[in-house]
Amino acid sequence: MKKFWRCFVCNDIHYGVRPPEVCPTCLVKNAYVEVSSAEARKVCAATETTMTREDFRQAIEKFSDKNEFQVNPDKERVEMLLDGLFANEKNHSLKYCPCRLTSGDLTEDLKLVCPCNFLVHETYKDKPDGECWCGLFVRRKP
Amino acid sequence: MSKLIMFYARECPHCQAMMPRVEKLEKEEKIAFDKLEVWHDEKNADLMRSYRSVLAPKCGGQLRTPTFFNPDTNDVLCGEVSYEKLKEWALKQK
Repeated sequence: MKKFWRCFVCNDIHYGVRPPEVCPTCLVKNAYVEVSSAEARKVCAATETTMTREDFRQAIEKFSDKNEFQVNPDKERVEMLLDGLFANEKNHSLKYCPCRLTSGDLTEDLKLVCPCNFLVHETYKDKPDGECWCGLFVRRKP
Repeated sequence: MSKLIMFYARECPHCQAMMPRVEKLEKEEKIAFDKLEVWHDEKNADLMRSYRSVLAPKCGGQLRTPTFFNPDTNDVLCGEVSYEKLKEWALKQK
């Protein structure tokens, strides 16, 4: 089961089954202690961040840069999907995929937050022209 | 003819691609679809969720758009498909 962990040196927060051996922020070894979700939330709340459409665009470009996929070169499609993602964040709290629908089970629905783990989906896996279900990400051509 | 449903989402490019095909089919074959938008209409979203056990197995285990559905027979067609495939599916529902 995933838990929250806090670096006792720099307050880096990690959410996972086990803590990182080395804190990626301050590089101290064995620095993480398990904390409650309430404490983790409070620590994170001290650094309020917002993400604009442009920020998100840059984030997904950076995310796909070192991967086998890229953001779809079809700019019109990308703009429509960004409209949907930001509408869903505004209306439903998270950037849910505009081409799927939540079930009401948060654990399941977290699988629909963009970017999702589309590498295992039938629309991408083992397909030369693979893409995620909505088409925001497509396999990079050699 | 059974009542056919098209679950779609406003900002879904696959749904946008399917709309002209659906409208062409409606015109040519006198078939009517209830076009239900699911991200901006909670009632439609709840209706789609109520059919989850029927729709999801045909759509990669999830609720995806567009989904074409015959509530009388529980027949499902999921995703962006050619006009011919949509027509074949719809005529089968007659």
